[in-house]
Amino acid sequence: MAHAVISCLHANLAALEAVLADIDQLGIATITCLGDLVGYGPQPNEVVTLVRERAIPCCQGCWDEDIIEGLNSCECSYPSQLAERRGHLAHQWTADQLSETNKAFLASLPMTLRRDRLLFVHGSPNSQHEYLLPDMDAFAALERVHTADADTLFCGHTHRPYVRELRDGVIRVRVQTVSDQSAAIEREMPLSVRRIINAGSVGEPRHGNTHATYVVHDEATGSVEIRAVPYDLERTCRAIVEAGLPPVFAWRLRHGFEYAERADDASHVCER
Amino acid sequence: MARWALVSGLQGDLDLYEAIQRDLRQLGRVDTLFVLGDLIGPDRDANALLHRLQLPRRGELQPQCLYGWWEDQLLAELGYRGERRADPLRQRFGQAAVEALQQAVDPGRMAWLAALQFGFIELDCALLHGSSADVGDRLGPDSSPLLLLDRLTRMDVNRLFTARSGKQFSVELSGGGIASAVRDLAGERQLQQVVPQRKVIGIGSGLRYTLYDPGSDRIAFRTVGQQAGSRGRGFA
Repeated sequence: MAHAVISCLHANLAALEAVLADIDQLGIATITCLGDLVGYGPQPNEVVTLVRERAIPCCQGCWDEDIIEGLNSCECSYPSQLAERRGHLAHQWTADQLSETNKAFLASLPMTLRRDRLLFVHGSPNSQHEYLLPDMDAFAALERVHTADADTLFCGHTHRPYVRELRDGVIRVRVQTVSDQSAAIEREMPLSVRRIINAGSVGEPRHGNTHATYVVHDEATGSVEIRAVPYDLERTCRAIVEAGLPPVFAWRLRHGFEYAERADDASHVCER
Repeated sequence: MARWALVSGLQGDLDLYEAIQRDLRQLGRVDTLFVLGDLIGPDRDANALLHRLQLPRRGELQPQCLYGWWEDQLLAELGYRGERRADPLRQRFGQAAVEALQQAVDPGRMAWLAALQFGFIELDCALLHGSSADVGDRLGPDSSPLLLLDRLTRMDVNRLFTARSGKQFSVELSGGGIASAVRDLAGERQLQQVVPQRKVIGIGSGLRYTLYDPGSDRIAFRTVGQQAGSRGRGFA
């Protein structure tokens, strides 16, 4: 059965409506959301309300967490002080706009969702703030899936969709202990095939294009399709400017700017 | 190049610490002493040891100290770790241990304990109490190689010295690799990666400690009181 996975909606209602229409048109009934419903974008209440109305299971993203618990992270993940100031401004604006009902909904979201051997997280099983980039160290990537006892890990947070299959892995070790008087013991650990599927971003894509992205996964065949959906981005850009949010948020949506607000050190995990 | 001595699990025992210092003097050629946490414990008053670690006697090596699991629990209980309390300690050893740990350290020494670091990076080595993931992470000779490699990768080091398990061991990542295929909107690419030649070393605890020569990469596991002429079990 095919199911859709969406992530990083970022209060962009036009993008979410377009993606949901695309999913509906494919006849897919099961949708999972990987968090970051709010932040950057101009329609936080509308987006959270739509997700609630559609009863889409969600896990909590880093923006959702910060809105609820206060901005105590993750300034260290911003690429510049200017970006950090803009992020703080967006945070304050969003916190002011969100209704208590919608805040309570964000507060209720779990860190992870699991369906059989499929695990759904925002950043990584370790942290909502950890970036699993497509070219990161393969063993470290595999460890995240393996330690979480999953076969396939769905994540977002990077705003760049990808599918990574890790296979033919083996690690050999030579173990020496004091108690063992004999020579070193050789051990070998074969590594099972694991997959990481990043859903990209509905509301704030950073893959070099303006289209909203999400993925469709077929559990029966294992196939994954990365979907890129055009939407009325002028509507969102106008709303950003009218709301008084930093105009650069509209500019980068319109240009599909690839690098905006991306953390320099993708492996960094915020220690709060 | 002179050697490092790596010690842990003193748990307030000044006699033990003095015995290690004597052992190191007899051995010679040790120029740096690292104490990888668990300076304190619930079983004895730690103030005399903490005083000595801060103010070594003439002729003693100046210790470079980290905080370990017991220090982390005490700091948590006393509110130095945000809102956390020492729940792991309470769950594992009970309320009596929490109180005993608090009594083992005078309040005036807490600022020094709170200033201790999580780990040291020296050359291409990480010196930690647990691991790069957590101070309570117990790495041992039977730990998953994937987990060991992850802990090394997180700090981008070639050698990771750990104390938490209390065991003396060396696990060398000696070979292997992994393939991966990445598909995104730009297309598909294949990636190949080999296992880097790295090691995780358990330094032991209490009487058992470890010598390391960063110049030759030679490790020697020692026990205090071992014959003076013996260099301990060494692995190059």
